[in-house]
Amino acid sequence: MISLPTRAADWRLMGRTARLVLGGPAYAAVAVVAAAVALTGFVLSQNLPFTADALAGRVPAGILLELYPFVGTSYGPATGAVLLLVSLLVGVDIALVAYHVREHRLSAEGSGGSLVGVLLGTLGAGCAACGSAILAGVLSLFGATGLVTLLPLDGLEFALLALVALVLSIHWLADGMRGGEIRGCPVDLQR
Amino acid sequence: MTDDPTGRTTRRTVLAGGVSMLGAGCLGSGGGGDGDEDGGSGDTPTLADHPVGGDLDDQPRLGPDPGTAAGTIVAFEDPSCPRCAAFEAQTVPKIRSELVDPGDASYVVRTAPLVYAWGEPAIHALEATHARDADAFWALLAHYFDEQDALDTGNVLDRTETFLRGETAVDGAAVVADAESGASGAAVRTDVDAAEAADVSGTPTVFLFRDGEYRTRVTGSVSFELVRQSLGL
Repeated sequence: MISLPTRAADWRLMGRTARLVLGGPAYAAVAVVAAAVALTGFVLSQNLPFTADALAGRVPAGILLELYPFVGTSYGPATGAVLLLVSLLVGVDIALVAYHVREHRLSAEGSGGSLVGVLLGTLGAGCAACGSAILAGVLSLFGATGLVTLLPLDGLEFALLALVALVLSIHWLADGMRGGEIRGCPVDLQR
Repeated sequence: MTDDPTGRTTRRTVLAGGVSMLGAGCLGSGGGGDGDEDGGSGDTPTLADHPVGGDLDDQPRLGPDPGTAAGTIVAFEDPSCPRCAAFEAQTVPKIRSELVDPGDASYVVRTAPLVYAWGEPAIHALEATHARDADAFWALLAHYFDEQDALDTGNVLDRTETFLRGETAVDGAAVVADAESGASGAAVRTDVDAAEAADVSGTPTVFLFRDGEYRTRVTGSVSFELVRQSLGL
């Protein structure tokens, strides 16, 4: 049976697990790097020709920053905030996976949500333009190219789904660490 | 594909097919355009031989004739696209005041029906309006962006006629008649062909040329700074 974070205790466990893991400088660095890479992937994937031109020196590379939420104008406040949140959760998720695998010598079970989150986050980043190439391309695989015009939030729905996937992933990872210790601290104080 | 607005599904389907192929290409190759036509590392195309550079004299434009100023900005927009509305509200006013008005760049708008269904009759009306009065074109385009939430396929031409009659000297009824009959279809088709040839898959997509040579392309409601710095102005 799939475990869902339906109780307050589940959310406290997620928070405590994340706090304990990110309390280690190495894993905090992993989270920051992963979040930055995720955000960069989200925004640059929407403009690959421009990114290539910037990297090739045809245009100043520094203006790639103008594609990021709250730096340039590509994203509205809501989309920008959701993309940042998705990126942060990707960072936390990756750090938890790294800790889980490295310190507990366990499999990465429960981390599939991070991959789903990254994919959905990339689709959600398509909100920077109408008729995003990547969004249209993915939907066309399912014969639903015009579907995005039926979405009331113009595609932001995908980024919101990414949030759900990442929260579930973090929940499952935290659940998998229940009963263990992180840097000497018990993960679940109720046990 | 047909120029008749009643055939909007057909035209949209063809364009969407191009969109889909590009999208798959983006996912598969990390491309987004085949690169050659946009320059890449080979010969840099000029405004004259780039797919978006054709028929520019017949397009709505602001500032110097395209290719005569240091910068030329060619933007593909859909009047039903919310991010185009954001681009028009946040970026285009600065393009006008800081690049176009001083004569440093020309700004050209081309249309692509990519988003909501009402965008296509709106584009036909825009072309019919431009054929009569360039200033009225810009006013109508701004009106569409301002009223996006209130427009749909059932009311867009009625509201177009009302706006043109009340706010411009253009004969709104004649414009709507042209839009409904497909009389402006050739102009619409020219832009759709240019969009397909240039692999335009989302709007707004902005093509930037410096001193008549292709510089880069960027999709989304990008900032003025991005446009200005990309052009080196």
